[in-house]
Amino acid sequence: MRCALAVLLAVCTVTLAAQRPAESAQRPDFSGYWELRLDSFRVPRAALTPQSTAAAESQAKKDAEALSRCALIGMPAVMDDRSALDVRHAPTVIGMVAKSPSSARYIYIDGRSHPAADELEPTTNGHSIGRWDGDTLVVDTVGFNDRGVTRIPGGGHRTPASHLVERYRLHEDGQRLSVVFTWEDPSVFQRPHSYEFRYYKVSEISEPRVINCVPNAERTRFLSGVPQ
Amino acid sequence: MFKVTRIVSCAIAMIVLTAAATHAQRPAAAIAPPLPGMSGMWLVQDPGSGSWAAWFNNVPKPAVRPEIARDNEETEKREAAGNVVNTMARRPDCPVGNLPMMMASSPPLNIVVARDEVLIAAESGRGRFIYTDGRQHPDTKAPSYVPSGFGHSIGRWEGDTLVVDTIGFPARVCDSRRPVMLVPGGGRAKDTSHLVERFRLADPETLSVTFTWEDPTVYVKPHTYGYTYKRIPEGLPIENNEQAPAPAANQTGAK
Repeated sequence: MRCALAVLLAVCTVTLAAQRPAESAQRPDFSGYWELRLDSFRVPRAALTPQSTAAAESQAKKDAEALSRCALIGMPAVMDDRSALDVRHAPTVIGMVAKSPSSARYIYIDGRSHPAADELEPTTNGHSIGRWDGDTLVVDTVGFNDRGVTRIPGGGHRTPASHLVERYRLHEDGQRLSVVFTWEDPSVFQRPHSYEFRYYKVSEISEPRVINCVPNAERTRFLSGVPQ
Repeated sequence: MFKVTRIVSCAIAMIVLTAAATHAQRPAAAIAPPLPGMSGMWLVQDPGSGSWAAWFNNVPKPAVRPEIARDNEETEKREAAGNVVNTMARRPDCPVGNLPMMMASSPPLNIVVARDEVLIAAESGRGRFIYTDGRQHPDTKAPSYVPSGFGHSIGRWEGDTLVVDTIGFPARVCDSRRPVMLVPGGGRAKDTSHLVERFRLADPETLSVTFTWEDPTVYVKPHTYGYTYKRIPEGLPIENNEQAPAPAANQTGAK
């Protein structure tokens, strides 16, 4: 009888544990190689300010020149790399590495805040901190510069005044990663611009892991239209 | 006898159910048990040697083969004569990176210790990928293998020590001054080289790494040295965000 009660208690424990949301036990781990596919993009048109619309052509030329010169592409282009993105999730920080010329991206999840503005040197990826909202990681990024490839999906471009919030969540038993991006920048957008990328987990990543990009005069002329 | 059998059956049932409960608490993709806190930014500790060359070689001298010793002497003479500028063009087939240089240099190392893979790079750059998922090295002699200056690294945990095994370095790099990568003390890192590193936290703020190089074409016996790194709390990695130079001003190296 005592054994039967003990087994019943254990069964209840198993049942409750299985029903417990992941966030109350352990956080999801976003580690893996994540690729974008044809059906990955949920991108509406952005409502741009007149000045941003007017700057679109010159901005596109600047982006093309950055590409042709192998500049670090930066956000959000690193999240739109045509090769799988390597995401490595440690307890205090998440590292992301793209194949295209770029800096590694670090999302600090140790509870720190953004540095004071006078301590923050702007970068192409900005400064990112994350916090958990249930099983969703909410990432807040500021401190961008205007170098690299600045184009934002749906329209507009990254500026030093841009503010990005991303929401990362796993689906399909951890095989799909949804990232919802929301950009705010009063000089670029009339209202916050949101879109979603859906990444699919793959077991391997192609070698070599990074591109040895070499600037090429012909490529520069072709992509940028800028005489050298 | 029946009572003993019943007790054993009950115990087995409890063990199985307890194990199931433990498993059920673990999400399909969950962070592994807490790893030693190596993630973060780490600054190599310079003992005050005064110059880069003096610091780089401020390790026990390796026992190298005679031809390597001669080459070291010739390199020293060339550099003393002012041959310190790399004149080789940057080409698409130039190997990316330089492991022994990066691990010895002053730009802080940015380390992310995650499940299955460890990232190590200088500042905000991209660098080493150390696979800790149990995979083996690829065939680094195969034509399809593209060598990088970081080689191919696999790691395993021995208690609180990360042991990293690296092979697959390039035979030559795009540097007119030193066409084969240098190893501190006067060694070389190349296609025949094998490196074993042991990463361990001496305390939460101090990372110790020992390096052991083996290569019968370079060393008479294994070459071992170590560095100490100090944690930079909440360090901000610097980005080399200058736009790449115009094609006319090509430089060696890669991002």
